[in-house]
Amino acid sequence: MKAQKNRSIHRVGTVACAALVLGLAACAPGGGGSGATTSTAPSDVSTDVAAAGDVTLKLSDFWKSAEGEWIDNRIAAFEDLYPNVTIKRTQEEWTQLVSTLNLQLQDASGPDIASANNGWQSLGTLAEANLVLNLDPYAELYGWNESVPNTIARQNQFTTDFSAIGEGSWFATPVARATLTGLYYNVEKLEALGLDVPTTLPELETAAAAAAAAGEVPFSYSGLDGNTAMLFSLQAVFGTATDINDFIYGDPEVTAAQSKLTEAAATMVTWADNGWLSPDFEGLDSQTTLASFLDGDGVFRFDYTGTLGLTGDQLDEFGYIQLPQESGSGTVGVGAAPAAMVIASKTEHPDVAAAFLDFLMSEESAQAAIDLGMVPMLHNDLDTPSTGRSLNEEIAAAASLNADDGYVPYFDWSSPTMLDTVSQNLQLMLAGRVAPEDLTAAVDADRDAFLAQLGS
Amino acid sequence: MSNAAATAALADGATAHPSARAGGSPAARRRRRIGLLLAAPGLAVYAVVVLWPLVQSIQYSFYSWNGTSASSTWVGLRNYLNFFTDPVLSATLGHVLVLLIFFSAIPIALGLLAAAVITRSRSRGGAVFRWIYFLPQVLTSVVIALVFKRMYAPEGPVNETLRALGLDALTRNWLGDFTWALPALGLIGTWITFGFCMVLFISGVSAISPELYEAARVDGAGPVREFFSVTVPGLRGQLAVAITLTVTAALRTFDLVWITTRGGPGTATQTPAIALYKAAFVNPDVGQAAAIGVVMAVLCLVIAVVVTRISERE
Repeated sequence: MKAQKNRSIHRVGTVACAALVLGLAACAPGGGGSGATTSTAPSDVSTDVAAAGDVTLKLSDFWKSAEGEWIDNRIAAFEDLYPNVTIKRTQEEWTQLVSTLNLQLQDASGPDIASANNGWQSLGTLAEANLVLNLDPYAELYGWNESVPNTIARQNQFTTDFSAIGEGSWFATPVARATLTGLYYNVEKLEALGLDVPTTLPELETAAAAAAAAGEVPFSYSGLDGNTAMLFSLQAVFGTATDINDFIYGDPEVTAAQSKLTEAAATMVTWADNGWLSPDFEGLDSQTTLASFLDGDGVFRFDYTGTLGLTGDQLDEFGYIQLPQESGSGTVGVGAAPAAMVIASKTEHPDVAAAFLDFLMSEESAQAAIDLGMVPMLHNDLDTPSTGRSLNEEIAAAASLNADDGYVPYFDWSSPTMLDTVSQNLQLMLAGRVAPEDLTAAVDADRDAFLAQLGS
Repeated sequence: MSNAAATAALADGATAHPSARAGGSPAARRRRRIGLLLAAPGLAVYAVVVLWPLVQSIQYSFYSWNGTSASSTWVGLRNYLNFFTDPVLSATLGHVLVLLIFFSAIPIALGLLAAAVITRSRSRGGAVFRWIYFLPQVLTSVVIALVFKRMYAPEGPVNETLRALGLDALTRNWLGDFTWALPALGLIGTWITFGFCMVLFISGVSAISPELYEAARVDGAGPVREFFSVTVPGLRGQLAVAITLTVTAALRTFDLVWITTRGGPGTATQTPAIALYKAAFVNPDVGQAAAIGVVMAVLCLVIAVVVTRISERE
C-alpha cells in the first residue's frame, strides 16, 4: 500500500518535473521580451532644467568619506542652481552596488542615476541589456566630444552592436575627479637616505638599490591578494598609450607583448630577485602592507590614488610620482574617473539627469574635488592648495596626463576574467613557477578567448 | 541549495521507518487531507523558494548567459564538459578531495578517539573540554577565517611559535605557499568540525547500553577491542550524520578561502564554490555558475544518499 502510494507520488513528481523542464526549454534565460538589443537614445533632448518642473531624481553610488562629501556637496550645489530639482542619494558598498545594479535598474522604483563600473562586466552588460541610456544626443548637446580628452571619453563608449569597447556611443560619463595609479614615496626616508626624488625609472632603480643597501625595504608590496598596481604602473612606463589602449579595447592586431606587459613583468621579477619587495610579501595582503607603509615600512609603493587615505600631516609625509615614459616622450598612466555615471533607461527625466552628469564634469566640480583633498580631472589651471605635498603632486600628475592625453584604462577592462588571470599569473611568476613571457601569453589567451566569444 | 539537499536526504533517512499506520479508513483519509491542507502553505513557499530556483539553475546551466543581457546562447553540455576540459575547474575537484581529508576523515577519527577516551575516563571537567572543542561550531566562519589569517601571517603566531622552538626551517608564508596553502586551510576545517564530531559521538556513546560494555569486559575485551566491537558499531547513526555534514561542508567550502586567499596563490586553493561565485558575480557567466552549482548539489545528494543507505544496512 505504502509502496504503491510512493510510486504514484514519484510518478506525479516525474511528470511535473518533465513538464517544467519542457516548459522552460521553450524560453531561454534573459529572453523576457524582444531579442533585439537596440539601445535607447532619447530623441527630444534639452538643457533646460528649470522648465522640467518639480523633479526628484534618485542617485545610487558607492562613495564614502571624502568622496561621499564631494557628491553631497555637488548635489547641494546643483539643487541651489535648480531649486525645482531634488536629488535623493543612496550610498551602497561598492561590490554590493556593482553586483546588484542590473536588478536595481530594472526596478521601477530604482535609481535614475547610478555609478557603474567601466568595462564589459558592469557598464557593458548594462548597456547591452538596454538598462542604461545611450547618451549620444547629450554628448552632442553639451559638447562632451570636445571637452573630454579622447582617452577618457573612450572609457565610457561601446559600439551599439556591443562588439567593441572604447569606440561608438556614450553610455556613461566620467566625473571631474580621477583615480590614478602611480608611485608613492616616503619623504622622510628619502631624505634620511640622502636621495633625491627619482624622476625616471632608472633613477628609481638606483634609489631602490641604495635603500636596500641601507637596510630599508625599497618597495612595499603584497602578494597574497595578487596586487596589480605595480605591474600596470610599469607597463605604462614601457608601453605607449596607443598600444595599451588598443590592447585593452580589444584590437586583435595588438598583442600583450606589444603593450610591453612582458617588460613590466620582467622588471617585477628582477626587483623581487633583488630582494626589493616587502619581505614575505607572498603571505601579506594589501591592507597589511599599506598600514605598515604608512607606519614607515618601505620607501616606495605603487598604488591607486585615494587608497592610502592620507590626511593631515601625512599629506606632507608622502609624495607622488607619475613616472614618465621610458622612451622619454611624455607621460602615460593608468587613470580613470572613479566611476561611470549612467542614466537608467526607465527614468522619466533624462534631461535633468543629463544636466546633473554634465554638472559633475564641470570645472566647479573639479575645484570641489581639490578642496576636499582629491585629484581633479578634465580641467587644468585650478586653484591648488597651498599645503599638502602628495595632493599637489597628484594634481600635477593628472595635469601632465591631461596635457599628454596619456590616460590608459584599467587593464582588467579587456575581458571579464582578466583580473583573475593577471593576479594568478603574477603569483605564479613571483614564485618562480612561470616566466614573464608565460604571463603575457596567458593574458593574450584570456583576451583572445573573450574576443572570439564577442565575435560569435 | 546543496545543503538543503543534503539535509533533506538526512531527514528522509531519519524518518525512514515510521510506525505503520492504517491508511485505508475514511477517517484516516480525511486526516491526511487535512494534513496536506495544513502543509500546503509551507509546501508552496518551499516550491517557490527552493524548487523553482533549482529548476531554473538546471535550465541556466545549458546556456551561455551573462545574467543581464536579453540574449543567451544554448550551449548544451559545454558548461558541464568544462569540468573535464578546463584545468582550473577540474583542479577545484582535486582540491576538494584534499579538503575532505581535513574536514571529514581527520575530525571523525579524532572525534571517535576523543569520545572513547573521555567517556572511558569520566574525568572531572569533561564538560569544559566539550565546551571548548565545540566553540568553533558557534563562531561565525568569517571570524574564524580572519583569526587564522592572522595566525598564518608571516610574522604571525604560527611562525613565531616555530621560531621559538628553533624550527626556523619549518616557517613559511602558509597562505602564500603553493604547496602549503591548501593544507593550511584544511587544518582550519579540522579545527572547526572536530568539536562537532566529538560532541556528537559522546552523546551517541552515552546512548549505548552499559550492559554491552560490561559484557565485552566479561568476555575479556581490552579498550581497543571494546572500541571497535561496541563503540564504533553503536555510533553508526552518528557516524552517518558526521560524514554527511562534514563532507558537504568540505564540498561547499567558500568563506574560509574567500577571506584568506581568494583561491590563490595562483589557483592553488580554488574550490568549486569559489569558482561558482566568480562565475556568478565577478565575471558574469551565469550558465557556468549554474552548472557548478548543479554538480555540487548532485555530489552532495549522492553522498548523502550513499551514506544513509550504508548506515541503515543491517
